Amino acid sequence: MSNEGRVRDRNGGRGKGASRAGTALLLCFAAMAVLGILTESGGGGPRSLPLQPPSRQHPLGTDDMGYDLLRLLVEAAPVSLMVGLGAGAVAAILGTGVGLLAGYARGVRAEVLSAVIDVALLIPMLPLMVLLTTLLGPGMGNIILVIALIGWCSTARAVRARVIQLRDAPFVEALKALGLTRGRIVLLHVLPNVSGIVSAKLVLGIAGAMLSEAALSFMGLGDPLRPSWGRIMHFAFQRGGFANGLWNWYLPPGLCITACALGFVFLGLAWEQRAETPAVAEEWADEPRGA
Amino acid sequence: MRGAVRLTRLGLCLFLVLSLNFALPRLMPGDPVLMLLGPESVTLSQKTHEELRKEYGLDRSLGEQFVRYWRELGAVRLGTSFHHRRDVASLVGEHLGRTLCLLLPAVFLSTLAAALLGTLAGWRRGSPLDLAVTSLAILGYAMPAFLTAMVLLDLFSHRLGWLPLGGLAPLGGTGGSRMEFMAGVLRHLALPVAVLTAASSAAKLLVMRGSVSAARHEPYVLYARARGVEPWRVPFVHVFRNACLPLLHLTALHLGFVVSGAVLVEVVFSINGMGSLILHAALHRDYPVLQGALLVLTLVVMGLNVLVGAVSGLLDPRVRT
Repeated sequence: MSNEGRVRDRNGGRGKGASRAGTALLLCFAAMAVLGILTESGGGGPRSLPLQPPSRQHPLGTDDMGYDLLRLLVEAAPVSLMVGLGAGAVAAILGTGVGLLAGYARGVRAEVLSAVIDVALLIPMLPLMVLLTTLLGPGMGNIILVIALIGWCSTARAVRARVIQLRDAPFVEALKALGLTRGRIVLLHVLPNVSGIVSAKLVLGIAGAMLSEAALSFMGLGDPLRPSWGRIMHFAFQRGGFANGLWNWYLPPGLCITACALGFVFLGLAWEQRAETPAVAEEWADEPRGA
Repeated sequence: MRGAVRLTRLGLCLFLVLSLNFALPRLMPGDPVLMLLGPESVTLSQKTHEELRKEYGLDRSLGEQFVRYWRELGAVRLGTSFHHRRDVASLVGEHLGRTLCLLLPAVFLSTLAAALLGTLAGWRRGSPLDLAVTSLAILGYAMPAFLTAMVLLDLFSHRLGWLPLGGLAPLGGTGGSRMEFMAGVLRHLALPVAVLTAASSAAKLLVMRGSVSAARHEPYVLYARARGVEPWRVPFVHVFRNACLPLLHLTALHLGFVVSGAVLVEVVFSINGMGSLILHAALHRDYPVLQGALLVLTLVVMGLNVLVGAVSGLLDPRVRT
């Protein structure tokens, strides 16, 4: 048993380290985004000579139109973050709702909802994303919507699994015996018990959404009016930056995407660990947080 | 009885997804005939437009098109592409072949890596090896595949000149000997397969690690150790067999997703595979190609799921019904 304790201690320690690293990374990007909003000029500031290598005046050089690449990078930060946060939040809300319903309902309704979740998981993601963006048209709101429509099902599945575990727990039985309505039990007593999973999935979902946005923009399906890290890479690929090996053009936005997604993943993994510990120890049945 | 329910559900899923395949392309704005003709369409008369529309069956109502779509599906005819003027089945087959060249090695390698490293990391959870493997996997998850592809391509092909810049086979085709040609194909495959492997290992590895580390405290592990089973056999034989189901499911899901998700890697390496086919068909509103490609993807993903269901029953009697 002492072995068990040691292992958990170690994991707990690393979870803290991961969440600290994630927070630090995300704070950096939040500062970058604020800077981007403050200095926004709607298109990359003044133009100078095109395709310059990094210099003191332009720390990352300039692109083929003569825009400063560092400035573009900073201006893209709020857009990329906003799409990630927006799509992640919408997906989490949608997934939690469907998951709660599918987990708590029984009979035909449960079957139908579960079938919807399963079908949504089966549909190949990227082609659907391509179809939906061409269907709705480019634009930030639509991009957020498309990514959220793709990303909700994994949250829904996790929430459903947890609710199925919870719905026969003693405290739910007790609440039923007290005569509480179903909606009240689900919203006030079951929902708080899945909030750990939801917050972990939310943060992981934000990372996924940022990566999806980058992929869409890289294919040229992003918002044509706003710069995002994916769009800078799209232009670097399309307009010869990549073919000429100009690392200062295509690499920094890619690293920003990676580091930012990494920050959210760190946070999500730490939270996921925290959310799972009570489930493993099966302590929730004795001390329901919601009751 | 359960089998019947499952079959009904599968059939219903299939009907829904295939109907979606019909509806989605037609929901997109834009006229396929105008997309086909481009700017030239202005010079053509209304009559020519109508004739083209009639030839493609676009002059009928959506209901009629829907009935026809199902009749054609029943007869296993996928129709003719608006743009390529070719049979969709042979078009999809050709592109699917190229994608599978990339995909099958990548899926095999990433599953193998995930099974080995994931088991090790989960078994020795908290060790330096676990830390290194997990960190790498998380990094692989957070790095977009097209970034990995661009960095590797820039480094190995552009700067060092060791590997070709793109495509699937040496130019000039089968001019040289057979061995030379095969070597050329392998050199072309190296980078894209590496990128796809790296991109799809991460999630599998983390899942395998989690399920092994959850299983290692089960009584049978203690029993196996007490019986004096060789130390390496416990994680890799006893635990692995019990913990590999999630990996199997994820592999099946990935195989389906990567068939479509390889589009970014295909773009960077100039490979004309399924992803590019779907992307271009969507941008040009080529309904038959979209329907055909999505049909193949749906069937592959569903078939794999059924297969995995059957295999997991063989591997683990607990899930057998």
